[in-house]
Amino acid sequence: MVIVAMALCAPLLAPFSPSNTPAVAAPVLGVPTSVAAPLDAGSVAIRADAIWLGDGRVVEKGTLLLSDGRIADVGTNVSVPSGTQVIELKGTITAGLIALHGYSGAPNEMVDGTRPSMPESKLRFAFDPSHYDFEDARKSGITTIVLTPPAEGVAPGITAVVKTAGGTMLSDAAHLSLVFTADGLVSNRKPTSIAGAMAMMEEMFAQPRGSVALAAEGKLPCLFETTTKPDIQRAIDFAGRHKLTGAIHGAALAGELAESIHDAKLSVIVPVIEIGKERRALVSVAELAKKDVRFGFGLDSPWNHPSELRLGAAMCVREGLDSAKAWSALTSDAARIAGVDARVGRIDRGLDADVVLWSGNPLDLGSRIVAVYVDGVRVVGGDR
Amino acid sequence: MSIDYRFGSLALSGLLAFATLARAEGKQDEKKDEPRSLVIYADHVFTGAGSNYDGGMVTTSGRKIGLVSPNRAGGDDAGKPELRCFAITPGLIDASVRITPGLVSVEQSNEVNPAMRVAESLDPYANAWDAQVSNGVTTVLVNPLDQNVIGGLGVVLKTAGPESIAARTVKADAVLRGAMGQQASQGNHAAFGRPTDFYSRRPTTRMAVEWEWRKAFYDAAASTRDATRKFSGSEQLVAALKGDLTVGIQAWATQDIRTAVFLKEEIEREEEFKNGLNKPRFFIDAAAEAWKEPQLLVRARVPVVLPPFPAAGRTRENAFMAWNTAELLRKEGIPFALSSHGLPGAESTLAMQAGYAMRGGLPFEDALAAVTLTPARLLGVADRVGTIETGKDADLCLWNGMPFEPSSRIIGVVVDGVLRVDRLAPEKNK
Amino acid sequence: MHTLMGRFTLALSAAVLQPVVLASSAVEGQEAPASPAASSTPSETIFIRGEHVITRPGTVIDDAQVLVRNGRIVAVGKDLPMPEGAREVSGTWICAGFIDPWAAIGIAPESLGEAGGTPATRSTDSVDPYNFDHLRRDALRAGVTTARVQIGAGARVGGIGTIVRLAPTTKREDMVVLPDSNVWMTIGLSQGNQMSFDAQGDFAGFGSRAMDPFERLESVDRLLQMIQAGKNYLVQKNEYKHELEAWQKTIAEKEAELEKDAKKAKKDREKAEKDATEKGKKFEEKKYKEDKKPTPPRFDEDNEVLARVADGGLPLIVHANRVAEIRALLSGSESMGRLRWILAGGAESTFFSRQLAERRIPVLVMPVPMGRNRPDEYESHDLSLAARLKKDGVQVLLGSGGLDPAATRDLPLLAGLAIGAGLDRQAAFDALTLGAARALDVGDRIGSLEAGKDADVLVLDGEPLVSTTRVRFVVAGGRVVVTPEN
Repeated sequence: MVIVAMALCAPLLAPFSPSNTPAVAAPVLGVPTSVAAPLDAGSVAIRADAIWLGDGRVVEKGTLLLSDGRIADVGTNVSVPSGTQVIELKGTITAGLIALHGYSGAPNEMVDGTRPSMPESKLRFAFDPSHYDFEDARKSGITTIVLTPPAEGVAPGITAVVKTAGGTMLSDAAHLSLVFTADGLVSNRKPTSIAGAMAMMEEMFAQPRGSVALAAEGKLPCLFETTTKPDIQRAIDFAGRHKLTGAIHGAALAGELAESIHDAKLSVIVPVIEIGKERRALVSVAELAKKDVRFGFGLDSPWNHPSELRLGAAMCVREGLDSAKAWSALTSDAARIAGVDARVGRIDRGLDADVVLWSGNPLDLGSRIVAVYVDGVRVVGGDR
Repeated sequence: MSIDYRFGSLALSGLLAFATLARAEGKQDEKKDEPRSLVIYADHVFTGAGSNYDGGMVTTSGRKIGLVSPNRAGGDDAGKPELRCFAITPGLIDASVRITPGLVSVEQSNEVNPAMRVAESLDPYANAWDAQVSNGVTTVLVNPLDQNVIGGLGVVLKTAGPESIAARTVKADAVLRGAMGQQASQGNHAAFGRPTDFYSRRPTTRMAVEWEWRKAFYDAAASTRDATRKFSGSEQLVAALKGDLTVGIQAWATQDIRTAVFLKEEIEREEEFKNGLNKPRFFIDAAAEAWKEPQLLVRARVPVVLPPFPAAGRTRENAFMAWNTAELLRKEGIPFALSSHGLPGAESTLAMQAGYAMRGGLPFEDALAAVTLTPARLLGVADRVGTIETGKDADLCLWNGMPFEPSSRIIGVVVDGVLRVDRLAPEKNK
Repeated sequence: MHTLMGRFTLALSAAVLQPVVLASSAVEGQEAPASPAASSTPSETIFIRGEHVITRPGTVIDDAQVLVRNGRIVAVGKDLPMPEGAREVSGTWICAGFIDPWAAIGIAPESLGEAGGTPATRSTDSVDPYNFDHLRRDALRAGVTTARVQIGAGARVGGIGTIVRLAPTTKREDMVVLPDSNVWMTIGLSQGNQMSFDAQGDFAGFGSRAMDPFERLESVDRLLQMIQAGKNYLVQKNEYKHELEAWQKTIAEKEAELEKDAKKAKKDREKAEKDATEKGKKFEEKKYKEDKKPTPPRFDEDNEVLARVADGGLPLIVHANRVAEIRALLSGSESMGRLRWILAGGAESTFFSRQLAERRIPVLVMPVPMGRNRPDEYESHDLSLAARLKKDGVQVLLGSGGLDPAATRDLPLLAGLAIGAGLDRQAAFDALTLGAARALDVGDRIGSLEAGKDADVLVLDGEPLVSTTRVRFVVAGGRVVVTPEN
């Protein structure tokens, strides 16, 4: 009997920079590190074992050329201008991850508790790009976050889509948030009941003004906040009555109503998945994929750590979600739901240079993040 | 009457399995939401419409009742499944069940909310529906909670069916719900110093509760004469005054029942309400002490719904009722329905309430009416439910003994032609 | 619910307050009961074929087989013959079942909150084979076959932990792999259910109160005193043993002496009696004074357990996170040479890597992502903790946290997170198999695929601990408990 000793698979680290170790977590005492002066967003070419374009295609042993903050070229026959820094990666390049629901930077300031309905309240004004919440996010490979109000009241505000480095705002008005869940009600402020909330919402749309008018005309998608399946049914009915588009967030079992959601032409933002989440909820995410409902993942950062975005996707894959669909949900489909797919979410010429370099298959949680680029600037990895 | 338990043996375990079992079976039936034609042989058919048949048969056709026959001829067409039971009654109707998600089903920012619908907050997936079906209740009235003086519009719906409240609704906006007495004024307080929330308002006493009722009706009457005085809910109040919308008022104690009756009589009498606005139809819910001054109810022609019988006599709001309350009302000629308030516990089901009323002396036929035809009439849905007659909804309850006896069990429930609860003996399909 | 306490409270209240809901969800979430083909009896013979068989961490045999019979692994190797009537199972990668050394599954959930525990409280008393078996099944499907569970997981003193196998069973005896695996104590955990108030002085809900440093160090002192008391008790018991032996020896010698002089003594006695009678004096029997029998130390069940701990018989797991108490623990236990302990949590333990490595104290890490709502003592918690400790030469174990029974299922993914944050893959695999088994004294029974060990085997379609790998078959306690159909 011959016993062959073999090391258990150890991904090889890219000889990325003088130091071979990846970026280590912030110092133990939690003091936020200052954002180091970013490297020049000049040109860089990265050669990798695989490049996931985000539409299902994979370029094997190809090159990605970033220039002036954009993706200049990608493929197997990319001509690299002389003088460009070239990096060899033993691993995979993908577009940066997109979290579709979060409160990074100002978690207690995302909603004004004095009144239930402030449809003109824009979350873009709560965006603080230098906050350390964004640093945690980029270290987990997240390059874009949708800042959303918590599901309180009836119409708590308008979401904004921001990048996790550099302060770029991709959209200052991405969705009008409408709350259909009873969890958003309190007993000492109008409305105290579901019927009361619906009446307020109908009143808003009876004579729509401002952002409500834009939503009613189909020009501003809505974010339908729900918790239970009846909440989803009510949201679908309301959207149908007022011809609204957008995405449903919050109900873990949304997949059980996948057909109705599909027929209503709405998308789903799966609420953040924590460890121990009941299996029924994870299986219902697979249902969304099977019934062709576009979906992405939400993350209630900073209450939830950014690494839970990919962890949640891995948990769904374990319970049967197709891995390709899982990846689109984290990138390209998420960009569509956020309305920013013209800029991010895929690797294609002309799109923003928001990419992540992984040491292996990005769906494997064991793959390390070797580097993250936002707008062509390396913000994680190497010596920055 | 001797009880024949020929069909008493069941393959399944005890009462504890009810809820879980019904739930599991509910899930199986999801795939078979389509009604099948059923043929049911019963040793006793209690139609609730005055005629009872020994050794009769009931068939269903689609979602409706087909034949109701005193014998079994012509009932074995090929392909029709045959069920057997000891007794069959119409599906039970509970005129006061509280299967709501709690406080979010009543809008408390305002004490008078006639336009709010409780149906918007109901959850078709709640476990409580399965418990109701399992206990033979096929149609219920669900009201907004009684935190408000006038809470809004109650809805009559079936306890099983497609997973949508709208699809199960028998009558939307069936009842304008409100309360007299303590409950509506609890939680409010006078404003000492600065008011901190909107609960510093009236009513804080019984008198103010009645004041709010009366004001609402007077304002509604005024709005018919002056369009600028319309307000949210005035439409519903006007419909109530005209008699197009039944008003259900919760009043446990004698003084509150009296208040409700006097209010009705005031509306029928006063100048303000002439021109067709003086025909309100009231019924009193949870009228535990209706037995104390029955002549008032007779005089005002107000039917009542009794709450579940309390174990020791005292109900909420310190009212008192006993086993024989139902019989007393029957003797006085006051129409009454029984209700269970959806309380959990095998001893509190609607069927048990009928049993308790019988223990107090109520004859079986009246007990049956109190949980079938009378609530159907009260709620204005007697054209569809409440009796076993051809053309009505196929809502049926199959028993393995005399209905309402504690030792009898419900072994089958049909809702809209679909067998939702199936505990019949294994040899049923022969 | 974003905090650990919150999750725990949620799990606890879900378990305790709404039994009906859980019962019905158990009916709902349950697959059809395993078909006869899927489950098997322990006496069955199972023949497992794999393209790659990991026998021990770091050792892989290609195209090999594992033979299981009567609940044990009978043989592992290449070209094994398949016995007649054996059930054949095959897959790409074969390895030992995973162990969760910090779990909350398989015991009654209300016992997790047991605050009145003493060192003698035993987790085996709360092992529950009946309830929440859907959680055990989920864990099996993810590849976790055994777990160390602890009563009083959040208390200062939890008591004795136990190791259970997660295979479906209704018999307690089948579930327990090792009834007494360790003693558990915690230092510095935030106390839950404290009322908290916001800046305006308004009640802001129930949160957890962080312990102040003096309280924490006091806890360390008390812990060390308890161990010392156990040591003293052990010393007393040993002394008693020696004293008893000495006393018995003395008695025996005395008796031998008396035997020897028996005749002479008899004559002397008769003479003395006669003399006394003649002289009219009262005859007094000569009495031989016996030495007093030594009394045993009073039986103290807590000290019995602590004595075992002090003597190294039972490992002590201490849950501590902060620098101050870890330092105090290390210095205070230096004199307790035989004490074996494991540090759990250890968020700030990298400051002491050298000592931990030298003294061979493993650190049991919970690689769970924590957001802003984390309890105070986890302020410095980071997913890279395991990697940093390992690089410093400390033995690392990985667990799911011991408060949420449903989290055991996700342990392999948590290990993935630790790997992604820098932990060496083989170290992670070792932490989930043989390393954990050895640290908990069951290394002779589980943790690797070797003849004679219990048959806890995973059949995977990819390498273990890669998140995209699916578990196809699981053999636990010699029975096939998971197949691709279920």
